[in-house]
Amino acid sequence: MNGPHSGLRKTVSSSRPGDAILRLEDIALHFDEGRTKAVNGIDVEVREGEFVALVGPSGCGKSSLLNIIGTLDSATGGRIYFRGQPYSTISDASLFRRQHFGFIFQSFHLIPTLSALENVIVPTIGCAGSAKALKERAQGLLSALGLQDRMGHEPGKLSGGERQRVAIARSLINDPDIILADEPTGSLDSINAAEVLDLLDGIRKENGLTVVMVTHAPEVSARADRVVHMRDGKLDTNPAEHT
Amino acid sequence: MRLIDFALGNLARRPARTALTVAAIALGIAAVVALTSIAWGFEASWQKANDARGTDLIVTRMASENSLPSAFAALEPGKTLLGYPHVHQVVGLLSEMLSVNSKAPPMFVFGWEYNSYLWDHLKLLEGHWPASDTEPVVLVGSVAAALLHKRTGDTLELEGHTLRVAGVFESAALVENGALLLTLTQAQLITDKPGKVNVLNIKLDGKASDSEIEELRTRVATSMPGFVAITSGELVSSNAIVRVSKAMSDATILIASLVGALVVFNTMLMSISERTREIGVLLALGWQRRTIMQLVCGESTILALAGGMIGILLGIAMTVGLEHLDLMRGKIEAVFSVQFLLAVLGLSLFLGIAGGLYPAIKAAALLPSRALRHE
Ligand SMILES: Nc1ncnc2c1ncn2[C@@H]1O[C@H](COP(=O)(O)OP(=O)(O)OP(=O)(O)O)[C@@H](O)[C@H]1O
Ligand SMILES: [Mg+2]
Repeated sequence: MNGPHSGLRKTVSSSRPGDAILRLEDIALHFDEGRTKAVNGIDVEVREGEFVALVGPSGCGKSSLLNIIGTLDSATGGRIYFRGQPYSTISDASLFRRQHFGFIFQSFHLIPTLSALENVIVPTIGCAGSAKALKERAQGLLSALGLQDRMGHEPGKLSGGERQRVAIARSLINDPDIILADEPTGSLDSINAAEVLDLLDGIRKENGLTVVMVTHAPEVSARADRVVHMRDGKLDTNPAEHT
Repeated sequence: MRLIDFALGNLARRPARTALTVAAIALGIAAVVALTSIAWGFEASWQKANDARGTDLIVTRMASENSLPSAFAALEPGKTLLGYPHVHQVVGLLSEMLSVNSKAPPMFVFGWEYNSYLWDHLKLLEGHWPASDTEPVVLVGSVAAALLHKRTGDTLELEGHTLRVAGVFESAALVENGALLLTLTQAQLITDKPGKVNVLNIKLDGKASDSEIEELRTRVATSMPGFVAITSGELVSSNAIVRVSKAMSDATILIASLVGALVVFNTMLMSISERTREIGVLLALGWQRRTIMQLVCGESTILALAGGMIGILLGIAMTVGLEHLDLMRGKIEAVFSVQFLLAVLGLSLFLGIAGGLYPAIKAAALLPSRALRHE
């Protein structure tokens, strides 16, 4: 794992493309003592460097599954592994998240009072590391996303596409292995959506990042290496039947 | 960007709420500063008066916890005391709180034995000292002179007696500057207490060791029933006014602390509840729970410290204003020690942490997925 000082490019990790970075076995997430089955027995594998699109009707459990993968929620059943390490052995979920995951949300979730640059730096607050190096890294990320002229702007002064690009830079600041994106283009028009996806794709390929992206848009899932369909908390093995 | 910058930014997001919270804490702290410094100042200015007079020991009626010790016949105890080893002088003193006229605030009136060492520390600004024990004159302290608009040669009324102002004096002690001074005989006449004093001031010969002074005190206690020999500090701290004002300052500290902590608590609880989703985002971004706690406690501490600092300034201003009220002028001299002001800042810090702790724990305990779904 590289520190946040390295550039955009991620140096070689011990894992090779094609190895499973995530393995989910019979994962379930039940609420209200089992009355709500948000996720109900999912088996899926994601390989290093893969771009997986997660699609399915509203309420089928896509966000819930993403939360489990990102350790924001604990599965109520099943087993999940990161590079072979069972999640049940993770002692510090925050640290684990910071080392391995970057999150992107549909509604950006930027902090309104902070500038674009400060928003990108927020995830590093409370960690060791030189402030100057972090700032340079954040500036590098924002520039790579075409925001070199927008660094001092607060989110309120940015367009939707620009905001999501700030959020992408933020998700990358800690040099993650996996980007978890929950409908990242859901709030954008098609032109901005395409631009954001192009940028994300470029960064992903350059850095060998794995991406799991929830989406409703066919043009987004069309870019993915693989599309995983969900329905009622389960994998939908025959999606054509339902459309 | 450091955590503190983030915390400051969060407080700036809700300027009205932040200002109100700071104002509430500032008022509480100001009350603490004012009442406490007055209570201590009251004690300190009496202590100063007694120190300036050069009195080593004071003999008074036991359990004299009134605002002024009760008067007693001085002749016999005075004689007894003079017979004790190392006792150089025994000087009677009578003090009263009297009004010069219906408009003026009551002031201290002291009667000091004529020609005794008590007079030695005063500086005469104008006029002359009493020419004899029985001359019907009064000397006026510099602050009292200004307050009463009296100068040498004027007359003033005390308890139906007309007295001429013989002069104006100044002392190192504010309480004396705010007082009227008579010979003991005149004071006894005016107050209708012939032969009586409140306290007997003892000046030792300077050769007494600490253990000999202790012996003297024991001797007074055993062979002069009803009397005690105490230091001026003990007299002052047993004084009823000093004790009441200290109790009031203690009560104020308690109430201000409770209210301050509750105000901080309420503000931070509101603040984290409206930022629930943001806290979820921070957790998703890899923030440690510890960092969330530091953020919330940091914000509450900034609120409390800002309130504390403003409160200290406000409290000092209030006290100085009080000192200049006619009613209080020349009676108190507030004391603002560095230690006290640091302690008040420490109290503010404590309020910030105490009020912020539960909200901080609550924020840090949020389940990230639930916080993110929060509307
Ligand atoms: N905390 C919770 N308590 C109870 N039920 C929940 C909770 N969180 C999610 N659910 C339920 O779980 C199911 C799956 O929710 P989820 O948000 O994962 O769906 P989704 O596929 O992301 O939907 P969308 O496309 O609309 O975002 C829903 O029926 C939802 O109501
Ligand atoms: Mg969803």
